[in-house]
Amino acid sequence: MGKVKSLIKVKPKKYNVGDVVKVDFMVMHPMETGMRKDKKTGQLIPAEYINEVKFYFNDALITDMQIWESLSTNPLFTINFKIPGSGELKVVFKDNKGEVNEKSIAIKPKG
Amino acid sequence: MRKALLALAATAGLVMAGEQFAMSDADRAMYAEMLEANPAEIMLEEGGEKLAELCGGVAGLAKYLGVSEDDLPKYIAGFPRYVEKLGAVVQLDQVMQVMMKENGHAPFKLSSKEMFAMLAYVKSLANEEKINIDVNADEHIKAAYVLGKEVFETKRGGRGLACLSCHSSDVIGSVLRTQPLPDLGKQVSGGTWPAYRMTKSSLRTLQRRFQGCMNNALLAVIPIGSKEMVALEVYVTNMAKGGEIAIPGLKR
Amino acid sequence: MQRRSFLRNMAAAVAATAVVPHMSMAADAAKPKGPNEMSLKAAIDALTGGKGIQTSSKVHLKAPEIAENGAVVPVKIDVDSPMTDKEYVKGIYVFATKNNNVRCASVHLTPANGEASFGTRIKLGGTQDVLAVAEMSDGSFLSATQNVKVTIGGCG
Repeated sequence: MGKVKSLIKVKPKKYNVGDVVKVDFMVMHPMETGMRKDKKTGQLIPAEYINEVKFYFNDALITDMQIWESLSTNPLFTINFKIPGSGELKVVFKDNKGEVNEKSIAIKPKG
Repeated sequence: MRKALLALAATAGLVMAGEQFAMSDADRAMYAEMLEANPAEIMLEEGGEKLAELCGGVAGLAKYLGVSEDDLPKYIAGFPRYVEKLGAVVQLDQVMQVMMKENGHAPFKLSSKEMFAMLAYVKSLANEEKINIDVNADEHIKAAYVLGKEVFETKRGGRGLACLSCHSSDVIGSVLRTQPLPDLGKQVSGGTWPAYRMTKSSLRTLQRRFQGCMNNALLAVIPIGSKEMVALEVYVTNMAKGGEIAIPGLKR
Repeated sequence: MQRRSFLRNMAAAVAATAVVPHMSMAADAAKPKGPNEMSLKAAIDALTGGKGIQTSSKVHLKAPEIAENGAVVPVKIDVDSPMTDKEYVKGIYVFATKNNNVRCASVHLTPANGEASFGTRIKLGGTQDVLAVAEMSDGSFLSATQNVKVTIGGCG
């Protein structure tokens, strides 16, 4: 498992079962296209970008993304999520080199 | 005569903000919404971790500065300040360098990304506070204000420009190089830096931003943490006095 | 001496004031081709199996008309749909129509999302149309476009 840093934010912070909330998933990642030259060496910087993001709730897949290098550095992925109950929201993401990382947060509806 | 021509050239490059580059309300709203998911938030988290690991955390900082943890946010909102312990007017990054040393760690360089992250974290503790810098609090900060004003207004470098050339009230809003010139006071520069810079994909501090500006305007770059640079930050932060602190900012 | 430096400063000021236009064919040819390079036509054909896309008011695409910079352009897509098991948005696809690789993201949704939407930030190599395509559970492909002017320049 990799050590890439990421953050999951849910808005609003307080919600009930049945509410549709916004989920922002942010990652610290260079999203290098592979077409940029190193200013010092003149060499192409190798491509390094997140190419897959999967969202799970209590281990069931809810959203599956295929991503390309055109996303900005330190990318953001925003989706909606209808709160079915309490549990774990987990994001598993992979990059073009095969490195896998994950992040989870607890989903705790008020009512 | 030469200086007058150079000044004319600089203003000739300015275009009054036409529809071409003016941001629509819809666009403005989109960029404002981006603050809800600022990439720098992760960097801030890291800064907080480093503060805890190397300086004793928020409690350690409050203790070092001689204020209670409850009073710390308001106190932070008044920086840069004269800190008697250090015998100088300083920004919080300089305070943390000394704290790191006293805790037996080699301090991060002021220009390092680790220090930028720590400064951003610490300043964010004052989020929602109003900037309360007091440039008359003592003779030291008074002197820093005077020095800062001098740095801001002194014309120098290849184009004979001063900060004031592009950041004076009569040119605010004019478009230079496709971007409208900001009102450093109204835009609360002193309260919205450190910020994530989109064109650099990184977290940057206000002093670092000054350096970028100096570079572009062909002014010799002043070192971060130097007396002149801290003085400049005092002067610019004071322009935004009363403005709300919101860290991390999000800038072009 | 005075005149020359005046002209040099003017030239510099003018050159720095630029909006990146549609990229020319020659410029396209000169750029390095990445392994993911794909044209818009090829990408749409692959996605729709040759069926093609139809503009629809059900697809709401939000992107700035004038982007402050090309490195971080916010994009938000919302699609009108009840998101039930019977009627839902299968996928949202985002394309930067003039980037070397037009594909940005393919987002496969489920009714668990509650509402069909996807937001992100993309890199745009220059002024171009951003295209959003929604694949509906009935097999149709609905779309919307937004032209984004990318400004370069600024100081510092």
